[in-house]
Order: sequence, then C-alpha cells, then structure tokens
Amino acid sequence: MRKILLFAAILASPALAQLPGLRQRQVPAVPVANPIEVLRADFAAQSGGTMVYFIPGSATLTQQARTILAAQAMWLRQHPEVAVRIEGHGDPTDTRDHALALGAERAAEARDYLILLAVPAAQVSAMTWGKERPGPPSATTTLVEISGGAPLVGTAG
Amino acid sequence: MSASRVLLSALVAASIAGAAGAQPSPSATVIALPPMTSPDSGTKGNESLAYAWQATQLIETDLRQTAELMPLSPDRKDYYSFPEVTAPSFSKWRERGAKGLITGFVQQRPDGRLTVGCYVYDVDKGRELGRIGFVAAPGDLRRAAHKCSGLAYKAITGSPGMFDTRIAYVAETGAPEARVKRIAIMDSDGFDHSYVTAGETTVLTPRLSPKGGRLAYVSFQGGVPQVRVVDLGSSSQRPLLPGNAMTFAPRFSPDGSKIIFSMMLGTNSDIYVVGANGGMPQRLTTAPGIDTDASFSPDGSKIVFESDRSGTQQLYVMNADGSNERRITFGTAAYSSPEWSPDGNLIAFTWRFGDTRRVGIINPDGTGEKILTGGPTDEGPSWAASSRELVFQRTDPTGRPGIYRVSLDGSQPRKMTIPQDGSDPNWSGAMD
Repeated sequence: MRKILLFAAILASPALAQLPGLRQRQVPAVPVANPIEVLRADFAAQSGGTMVYFIPGSATLTQQARTILAAQAMWLRQHPEVAVRIEGHGDPTDTRDHALALGAERAAEARDYLILLAVPAAQVSAMTWGKERPGPPSATTTLVEISGGAPLVGTAG
Repeated sequence: MSASRVLLSALVAASIAGAAGAQPSPSATVIALPPMTSPDSGTKGNESLAYAWQATQLIETDLRQTAELMPLSPDRKDYYSFPEVTAPSFSKWRERGAKGLITGFVQQRPDGRLTVGCYVYDVDKGRELGRIGFVAAPGDLRRAAHKCSGLAYKAITGSPGMFDTRIAYVAETGAPEARVKRIAIMDSDGFDHSYVTAGETTVLTPRLSPKGGRLAYVSFQGGVPQVRVVDLGSSSQRPLLPGNAMTFAPRFSPDGSKIIFSMMLGTNSDIYVVGANGGMPQRLTTAPGIDTDASFSPDGSKIVFESDRSGTQQLYVMNADGSNERRITFGTAAYSSPEWSPDGNLIAFTWRFGDTRRVGIINPDGTGEKILTGGPTDEGPSWAASSRELVFQRTDPTGRPGIYRVSLDGSQPRKMTIPQDGSDPNWSGAMD
C-alpha cells in the first residue's frame, strides 16, 4: 500500500517566548536558541514523528497513525502552552477539489482523535493543502504562524 | 506607410493568437471571406482599408480555431466596393464552393473612432443571415472582429461563438516544491493578459461569472482555503462568507445571482448555495462523505456534482433545491469535476482510474459517455460558450501544467500559448 502523506506536527510560535511556562523550559543539550525549534524537536522525538499516513483515497486512521497520534496527544497534554496545526494533504493524482476535501477530512480525523484523547480542542487546529504541496513533506516544511495573536504551532503534513 | 504598419501588427496578432488551428472536420462549412472594404477615400481610405484588412485577418484566425467553419483565405484580388457589402455577387462564391459569405466595412469617424459593419450570407440561397455593427475605438477593432466571427458562427452552427470571451486560470511559476500561484485572466485569443492576485498566497480554481465581469476563486490567505469574489471592473474583492470555515469549488449560477460551493463541516464536505453578494448559505446535500464540484444546468433548474458516498467519486444530478438526487455514472473509474454545458445537452467531467486522468463528456441522463482526451494527466474541463469545445489542464511528464483546448469532434487537443505554466482554466460565456 502506497503511503500518502499526512500530516501532523509541531508548532510553536515566537509569541511563546513571552509565555511564562515556556521560558522555564531550558533544554541545555540542544544548542538551538529558538525555543520553537526546541519544542518541535522534542515533539517529534517524543511522538515518534510529526506525520501520519493514509491509504490513497481514504481518511480512515490506520493503527500506525493512531499510535503516533496517541503519543502526540500525551505530549500535548504535557505542554498546554503549545498549539498545533494539523495540515491535511490529498492524493497528488486526485482532482483539485476532491483532494482539498480529502485533505480536510484527514486533518479533521486526526484532530478529532487528539481531542478524543483529551487534548483541549483549543490547542489543535486543522486545515487542508489538497494537492498543493507535492511530495512527502519533511519536518522542515512545518510552518510556524501567528493567528489572531494566539500562539499557533503547526502539525504538519 | 502607416497602413503597412497596421497590416504588420495585424499579422503578428494573428500569429500569436494561439495554437495551430483546429483540423476542420469533413463537414465543416466553407465560408468566403473576401477582404472587408471601406467607403472612405484618399489617404483616409488607405488607412481604413488597412483596418478592414486587419479585421478580416482576425476573423479568419477566429474561424480557423473552429472545427465547424472553414474560411477561404482572404485574397486581395477579391476586393469589393462599398455598395457590394449589402449586394454581394453570390454566383462567384457559389462557384468556389462556399456555403457562407462574410462581408463588411470599416469607416473612420470624425471623432477618431471607427464604424465597423459585418454581414453574413447564405450563398446558396442568396439570403442575408445576420448583420451587426459597432462604433469602436481603433484599439477595440479586435473585439469588433470577434463579434463578427461570433455572428457568422452563430448563423451557421446555431451556437453562440466563443471568440469574445475570457479565460481565467492559475498562473504557476517557481520550483515544484514552492510554486507561486496567481489568478490570471485573458481574452480567449490570448490578448489582454493580466493578473488578478499578486502571488503572495496560494490560490486555486478561478471561476468566472457568466458574462465575465466577476470571478470567484479559492485563496489560502486566511490560513485555510476559502472562496473569495472579485469584481474585475473595480478590482474590489471580499470573502464569500464571513468566518473561518473551509470553502471551495465555487461556481456562479447561470444568471450570476448565486454562487454554489462546497464547505467542510467537521469531516464532511457538502454543497451549499448563497447569493453572489452574500447572505445565508443554504445547504443542498447531507450525505456523509465528500460532495463537491457542483455546477448548474443553464436553465438553473438542476445541479450536477460529484460525491464519493458510494466509495468512489461518481456524478449525481439533483434539483436546484437539493431534492431528487440521482446518480448518473456507474463505472469502475472515478468521475469528478463535472461542468454542465452552456446549451444544457452535455456534462464534461474528469475520468480517473488509478493514476490516469482524462477528460470526457456524458449526457445529463447518464447515457452517451465518451472520453475525449488520452491523458494521462488531464483534468478540470470547462466549456466554451459554443458548447462545442472545452478547455482543460494537462500536466507534462516533468510535472509542469499547461492549458489545452479540445473540440468535441475527436480532433487532438491544442496547447494554448500563455506566458508561464497554467492550471485550473475556466471559460466565460459571451461578454456583453
């Protein structure tokens, strides 16, 4: 079965630097000044990945996807100051609009699963790229954005 | 001298007006197109004749784009006098095998503008089929000529011409992993090309209003895909709906008063309709799964859309209020991105099986399915106003998308000349 990308991942925003809880989280072993990058690396390492994969044409979470999402949920519950954005992707050979909808459906399934595992809904947003970001995205494609002044971290995909 | 410059620019215009002409089908109607004339005399007369020759060449280029009409090449030996515009010599053209004849004139007005007149005749019967006249600035001679082409096309085929129409599409530049996408719009002959968005955010699926004055498209500007509506005259634009719901796949109703679109609610995509100027959206589908890509029938009474409720994408037709849903495709392939033809007789779609995508047509009752293109990466067909031709997107083996036209007569698709790569083409109806 060909794996299709999906998403999930990390996020933190420059605004986080102002959050009291965050400043205390020093990670001396990592020589990275940017706390967002530190958070991202920690999230990816603890969750077993920032991306989960789907069967082509399907938005059903696989067992493997559930395992990764469960680890992500655990991490997010320990980091209530971090928000993540789940970016869903459609299949590259799909038509434009169905790919958009399928990506949105995949992102929503992942988001719903995190919420089912007791991650506060406000901590997780979801969007779709459809087939606009071709190829398996690497962790470096995760974007940090600020939305409405709220800290937003991206889960990727 | 100035006349020869005008002539030169006309020839250049004709050569960039697009891809090679359509292969005329054996049943194409032969049209005589002698050089248009002028009542003006002297130096002015020479200038007017240069304009007339330019218009004649533009009409020839237009008609060569069609599969239904085959113009005889204009020959300067066939010049006629101004009175002969309305009293042509039918026997001469009958002998040369022409079934139709286009005559016309260009006259310069004191205010610097031009009066352009065109006449279309049935050569066998010696009868006028139609006439049309304009006062136009010299810079609008091209559009006047397109109107003449449209008159001839409609007189011979009964269908509206697609010569004075616009095509919107997504202009693509940059590396595959970092595409810059801009909404672009041009006249269907490739002229008057301009960009509607600046490329700072990803944009998709421009859809023109029936007369080409407004455009709906999808933008990622707010972080999620959302439909926006642009007035092309004033360049003012706004989101279709307030809020942050994901909306996509917009299309105008045939009268331009409404926009039909898709909206995600949780894991479900359904079809909604809302006034083109806003208001409360009305939900039309409720099935679980992805319902999207809705398109109105030309009388506004029905809607075709795709749904994967059966497991694969298939086409469905329902009434405009959402009632009486009926599935019309039952193949093992997937059928998607339907668009209803302007004459109401056909629905174009993207056919997908495995990784192969092709463009096809089907009757609204589900009979008469026909695949028009070979693929393997063809998608997103949009009808010409004539209902006899489609524009669609084809991606080449290196991953670069281009815009192609294909006639329903089985001829090969032709690539359109645009300044960069292009995707998601959409063809307007005839402009006013």
